[in-house]
Amino acid sequence: MSTRLYPLYQKGGPQLRVFLPNFWLKLVRPDNDRPSNIVQFMCSMEMTRYDIKNYLEKIYGIKCVHVRTRIALGKTRLEPGRGYVIKDDDIKYAYVILPKGETFEFPNLFPEEKEKELKEQEKTFEEIKKSHEKFLSKNSNRPGTPGWFSF
Amino acid sequence: MANFTKALHLSKSYGKSLFSTLRNGHICNSRMISTTLYLRDFMAFFDDKKNWGATEVKSGRSWQKDDLRIKSNPDLHKLWYVLLKERNMLLTMEQECKEQMKLFPSPERLDKVEESMENLEEVVRERNRAYHELERGEIGEQPKETIIGPFGLPEEYKMTEHSIPKEINAEWYKQQQIKCDPRDVAEFGRKYREKEFIEKRRQHKRDFNHVIGLLNRFPKMDMEALKEQYPDVDIEKAKASRKYKPPPVFDD
Amino acid sequence: MRLTQILLSRVGEWSKQYANLPDRYIKRAMEQVYWRNPKGIQYRPSTVIQRKKFRFTMNRPWSHQFYEQNAPGRLRKKVFVEPIKKWSFFRGDRVEVLVGKDKGKQGIVKYIVQERNWVIVEGLNCHLRRMKRGDESLDLYIQSEAPLLVTDQVALVDPSDLKATPIEWRYTESGESVRVSVRTGRIIPIPATAEETIDYKSKSTYKEQPKDTGANEVAEITFEPALKTFEMDIMESMGIKEDRIPKKTYWY
Repeated sequence: MSTRLYPLYQKGGPQLRVFLPNFWLKLVRPDNDRPSNIVQFMCSMEMTRYDIKNYLEKIYGIKCVHVRTRIALGKTRLEPGRGYVIKDDDIKYAYVILPKGETFEFPNLFPEEKEKELKEQEKTFEEIKKSHEKFLSKNSNRPGTPGWFSF
Repeated sequence: MANFTKALHLSKSYGKSLFSTLRNGHICNSRMISTTLYLRDFMAFFDDKKNWGATEVKSGRSWQKDDLRIKSNPDLHKLWYVLLKERNMLLTMEQECKEQMKLFPSPERLDKVEESMENLEEVVRERNRAYHELERGEIGEQPKETIIGPFGLPEEYKMTEHSIPKEINAEWYKQQQIKCDPRDVAEFGRKYREKEFIEKRRQHKRDFNHVIGLLNRFPKMDMEALKEQYPDVDIEKAKASRKYKPPPVFDD
Repeated sequence: MRLTQILLSRVGEWSKQYANLPDRYIKRAMEQVYWRNPKGIQYRPSTVIQRKKFRFTMNRPWSHQFYEQNAPGRLRKKVFVEPIKKWSFFRGDRVEVLVGKDKGKQGIVKYIVQERNWVIVEGLNCHLRRMKRGDESLDLYIQSEAPLLVTDQVALVDPSDLKATPIEWRYTESGESVRVSVRTGRIIPIPATAEETIDYKSKSTYKEQPKDTGANEVAEITFEPALKTFEMDIMESMGIKEDRIPKKTYWY
């Protein structure tokens, strides 16, 4: 049966197997200080602790000792000027504990070198701006003359 | 056209994917693992280091159904996991960009991967449907039915799988008993249909006025194109309206 | 009823051609959903409150500028757009300007906004734009092209005598749809730049990206028909044996 509906298991029946899982898993920066062997994930709401453990072991080759999950309630707010309440989606977080001696630190994905390049671009723009201002201010004491008039 | 059949992320990892990672899992069973191995595995959740902080990441097109139909089942199975890992990677990068208040480079990659996954699933369904129709005379999908719901409106009911027949399943019967007073349902239906009718009439009126506006602004307009875009509007009637005031046309 | 609304707010095919983005991404980037019906028993289960009317401008619908121009809560005046049967102006076409200060001059089309029937002709019909924001001291004027309507402000140029001509879509003997000059009956070929996108000049010169699958690998046929479902095939190829027979289930 090719459907996303989970099949019914009855005692003595064949083992249930999922061949094309559509679970997603996001590795996120830990929200507060925690031991370096704990990795925080966001996962799809349907995933159980066993699912997460199997998923990491079979697809990514990551072994984990224990998995804990929690569901964070989405925030509710009243939309100003509109007559309804909006609720953000709930998020399921998973805390994966690595075996003894293993650590993981979330990397810095925005290296400083590239940011420097961007800042340099901004600097050149500022310089252009300044030179243009200088060019305009040349004739400020002689109103009515065009910009190219003085040498 | 044949030259341009690029797709996302399958080049070198086509051969490895699920099976190779499974083997990696077996290696991990030994006690002699170093931290670097783990780091490498977690790095699958992040993009190439070259793309960190980049403003744009180029990619090919998504896998189309026609590309997938010529692939064998094990190939599709491998491709699914490649796409799944790619999607997890992109979601991770997107989340981190959001947290750091940065722009996520080339967000269309996520749509390309998801489109490929949808197409792949559809191709697998096609194959399974062919098998089920040939062998059992049914499509092999979750059966659906159009029923009249508690509000008196037609709705789609998706059937579910049970271990006992309907006749002896008291719990299911209890769930189905959503009672509405038939007089209330009739009243609701009448008002619902009235609302629908009014909305339809308003839309027609809006279209009619829009066509008059077009006729007033563009006297040399292609009438066939107008008829094609607004098939419900009677153009002769629109021209007879008092709102129809076309500007004078001066022919050269 | 809603067809015209959908038609009016749809992004034109030739507007999005150059950007080479999947439709799914364009839809996601453009949509402004204010409210969705929660799950559960509802008489209209998939009701969405979202922006339906967009004012299309020179900015692309997936860009940040477009979002600012169509920000939530911001209403824009309605624009009447003349319906056209078939779009016949492409990037790289030589056209003659029929109005304005550059009347009679010929230029190349470089930008298309199909939703508004607009084209931009390179270097023609220019105006000065003041680039001053707030109390910033930088006061610059930038020359930029103003859009021209394809219906009566530009005309295609006949390649035989380099003069403006009205055109018609006709079929050749081989069944190809071509643009034909009404005046001389000559075919006006569609330029190669019409196919160009931000990723490649032409499909054959596309440069492969590191995550792309090779063209030969995509075209390879590995599918062999067999009387198996996807699941049966994968289990066989992975060496999983399953002898237990599923018990009878009931669908209702």
